[in-house]
Parts: sequence; structure tokens; C-alpha cells
Amino acid sequence: MSTRLINFTLNGEPVSTAIEPHRNLVELLQRFDLFGARESCGQGLCGCCTVLVDGKAVSGCLYFAVWVDGKDVTTIEALDADGQLSPLQQAFVDTAAFQCGYCTPGFILMAQQLLEENPNPSDDDIRHYLSGNLCRCGTYPEVIEAVKAAAKR
Amino acid sequence: MIPFEMVEPTSLKEALSLLDPQEPTIRPVAGGTALMLMMKAGVFTPTRLVCLHRIEPDFSRIALTDNGELRIGAMATLRELELDSNVRSRLPVLARAMRTLSSVRVRNVARVGGALAHGDPHMDLPPVLSALGARLSITGPNGSRELPLEKLYVGYYETVLEKTDLITAVTVPPLNGRKAAYMKVTSRTADDWPSLGVAVTFAVADGRISDPIVVVSAATEKVTRMSAAEKALQGAAPDDAALQRAADAAADEVETLSDAHGSAPYKRELLRVYLRRAVRQALDGSGH
Repeated sequence: MSTRLINFTLNGEPVSTAIEPHRNLVELLQRFDLFGARESCGQGLCGCCTVLVDGKAVSGCLYFAVWVDGKDVTTIEALDADGQLSPLQQAFVDTAAFQCGYCTPGFILMAQQLLEENPNPSDDDIRHYLSGNLCRCGTYPEVIEAVKAAAKR
Repeated sequence: MIPFEMVEPTSLKEALSLLDPQEPTIRPVAGGTALMLMMKAGVFTPTRLVCLHRIEPDFSRIALTDNGELRIGAMATLRELELDSNVRSRLPVLARAMRTLSSVRVRNVARVGGALAHGDPHMDLPPVLSALGARLSITGPNGSRELPLEKLYVGYYETVLEKTDLITAVTVPPLNGRKAAYMKVTSRTADDWPSLGVAVTFAVADGRISDPIVVVSAATEKVTRMSAAEKALQGAAPDDAALQRAADAAADEVETLSDAHGSAPYKRELLRVYLRRAVRQALDGSGH
């Protein structure tokens, strides 16, 4: 089976690997022992596989791995790389904005992008922006509180 | 997914040469968000995907032309379209339609050309852009041509595009005071695939509707103009009785399909209700 050599930046570090064209971004990250992006629905609906590519959120399950060649990839694991939780991560902890935690990396990466674009979002802005992230535990009210709390920090 | 070859041409000419007029397992891929769903579902198994990312810089610009038309490069992302200042100020109906189209993540990746070429009747851009009178620029092995977007669709996931054709741009004429609205109805979550999409544009002169365009999607096998509804609206004062006549005409002429998003009779009733709402929304300019 043919593979392609790709070079990209992964959470600040230059890396390279050979990968088959039919693999998606979630599968690529698993090779680097990064499991924060999870393939859940596999259809881009749930947001559990959210990854930032060149600073923009994508669904890792709907993004071919070879497409990150030459790009900058950021996963949830980068947010506390210095040993400190990011303001959003801390806000999710403080407001208990999760129960099982499976969807949390996706919510946090999407919320991070929301706050970069709109530092003071309304409840409606937050709901719209995060409408593509599903939490089966139903922590949506706490998620909105967490995003608003992080916006104030 | 089953393995395949991915080629990454660096020019439009090279991309066209890598497509094959006879081979249905060779397809171009832009953002891939819709194509990957087909591949995961097993309804499309490629032997080769022709990735268009390396020619993207030449075909992703969104700019006004000298005569006030908006020319949208086929490789522009849906998110770029949504946030573009000219789109927001001149074609707000288009920016609004993006807000409930899937999620920010998908809009970051999905491309305008792919959303038009895919031929899925549930997509939002085809009805909105059709009602706005958009034209496609298409390049194939024998050169380039223009095609009104409303002529693109001939059936369920069927377009008039040849396997060796690529959409390079879509051009949208200015509204010039025409009113526009697009309403979509989802039967589950707000960002789900719709049960019905209905786009309307029309001019208003002396309190009467003129030159209406009514386009229905999702409920039908393809994006479809509703000519009987347009005839009912033409020259009418937009009062309740006239809107009811147009809605009944649309419900009579539409051929709806049953699917997971609603039964055919349900979608027919949705059209009867939402055509009126769309015309009213276009008239009062309210967001939705």
C-alpha cells in the first residue's frame, strides 16, 4: 500500500511520518499517542474530533491526514503543555462543564476559537458557535457558563 | 476506508488531465466533507482522488467585479463566504444561510465549488444562489463556459457536469433592490440536514411583486424552480390571499420525496407554510 511522507508542526514541534491517503486526521494523531481528539459520530456532527489546523477548527474525522502536510496542527494536549490548565480548561473545571468528559476536548477547542473571534460572546453566540458539538451527558448550561467565565478572565 | 490514490496537481490544466471521462471511481475533491461521508457510507469507493488544494490560491478569491457582481472562487470555504464583507453587506441572505449550515468546523473546510457540484438536494447554497441568479464558470478539456446555476441539477445527486469538468467560480449579480430570503426547516436539530429549503427573490414595484424566483430544495429530488408559484406571485400585492394562492400553487406543483427528514405529504405542507413565511421575511428584511 502506498504511503506519503508528510511534514507538519504538531503542537509546536516539527514532525514527519509516512501515511496512507485514506487515513483521516484522528488516525494520524493516534500514531503520535495523542488521543484527545476522538472519532465518535464519524460524520462531523458531534465535534469530539475537533483539531485546529493552521488555527482553524476542523473535524478530524472528515479531514484527510495527508492534508496537514506543511501545516500547523494543534490538539487539546497543547493547551496545558506548560503544566498549567488554559483559562478555558480551568473554567470548564470550575463550572463542572462536563460529566464523562468525552466531548470536552472538542468543546474547549471550539470555544477557544469562538473567544479568539468574539471575546465577549452572548449566550446566543455561544449556542450557535457550539451547535455542532454534542454532549450526551447534557452539560450544555454549564458549558455556556464556562465559556462566559473564561471570556471574563 | 478502502485505500486509494490521492494526487495533488499544481495547476488547473494538470488537474483536468488527471480526471477521466469514463471512470466513475476517479473524482475531484475540494473540502471533502461531503465526499468522505459517501466514502464512509460505502456508496463511493474511489480509486483516485484529485485533490484541488494546491491550486486553491488561484481559485479562492471572493471579489466584486467592475459591474458590481460578486465573483466567488470555487475553492473559497463556506466560512470565508460567510465572513466576507461584500457578502454581508450586499447579499446578507447568503451570509445568513451559512449560519445554520452544518457547523463552523465543516464550514471551515467545505468549499463553495464542492457544495454546488455535489448535487445533494439537501444542501443550502444551491437554492440560495439559484434564486439569486448565480452563474457558474466551468472549465473542461475543451475550454471554459458559463452555466446558470439553476440549469446544473438534473436529478438526485445528478448534474450536467462531465467527469472532466471543474467549477472554477460562481458569479452572483447584485440584488439591485430585489428582496431575498431563504428559509430552511429541520425536523431535528437546528444544524441538521433540512426537510425543506425554500429561497425566494423578487422585485417590488408600486406595492406589487414582480419577477419572482422561487426555488425549493431538500423536499425534492433536485433543486427546483416553482413556476406556478412564481406565476401566482407575479404582479400580486403581497397580501394574505395572494400568498395563500402562491403557497397552494407551490404545494400543487411540487413533487416531494419521503426520506429520514420527513414524509412527502409532510414536506408538501411545510412548503405551503414556509413559502408564505419566506416571502414575508424577504419583504420585512427580518433575519432568521
